[in-house]
Amino acid sequence: MGDLITAKYSSPDIPELHFTIDVNDKRYQTTNGMTTGPSEHVLNAGQIDRDRPSDPKLLSGSSSDVEPHYTELSKLRMHLTGLQDDINIFLTEQMELAKKKKIKLHSEEEEKRIDEEINELLDGGDGDEEDEDEGK
Amino acid sequence: MRTLDYTLEIRIPFPEERMATIAQQVLSPDPILKPEDFQVEYLKPATQHNNVLLVKFQSIDERVLRVGVSSVLDSIKTILETMDEL
Repeated sequence: MGDLITAKYSSPDIPELHFTIDVNDKRYQTTNGMTTGPSEHVLNAGQIDRDRPSDPKLLSGSSSDVEPHYTELSKLRMHLTGLQDDINIFLTEQMELAKKKKIKLHSEEEEKRIDEEINELLDGGDGDEEDEDEGK
Repeated sequence: MRTLDYTLEIRIPFPEERMATIAQQVLSPDPILKPEDFQVEYLKPATQHNNVLLVKFQSIDERVLRVGVSSVLDSIKTILETMDEL
């Protein structure tokens, strides 16, 4: 096997991350991705997946019973399917992290605001700036 | 104004240069709905590997990147499937 697909990701938090393919790993030997197509729930409810990708194409003379030999384009499609799963899983994890970070930041801001209000009240203010302005 | 700080580059070596060129021509006309949030380029780097299609994505966050990348990869898989059948 010659040249393989590669991918490179970067973001403000991750300067560089490389994705590579292991041709011996089962996830790069299928045209059915784990993260694409209808969910299991939808399929169990009776939906038929009409957009399902075709199986990889065998080279003429090759048999799927013994060690199958696929066309170069099928191999490329299988590798891309596995890489798509890797990228989808990674980005979903990153989305979750960003969501948690946002919630934490929001709760920290809220906590800071409450602390400031409490401190202001303890310092003798009544928490109502308008009244203070009227007195001036 | 948010910047497109989230990037992904995918290097796809096709079996032949002609196939990489066809894939580039098939993918390029697709318009980007929100170019301020997501952008994609299909390049054929002028190196010794003329059979390579380089796909460059830029996005404002992980969520938009995931949706855009997966959609483009689905299209590339369909192109590969079609080429394999013809």
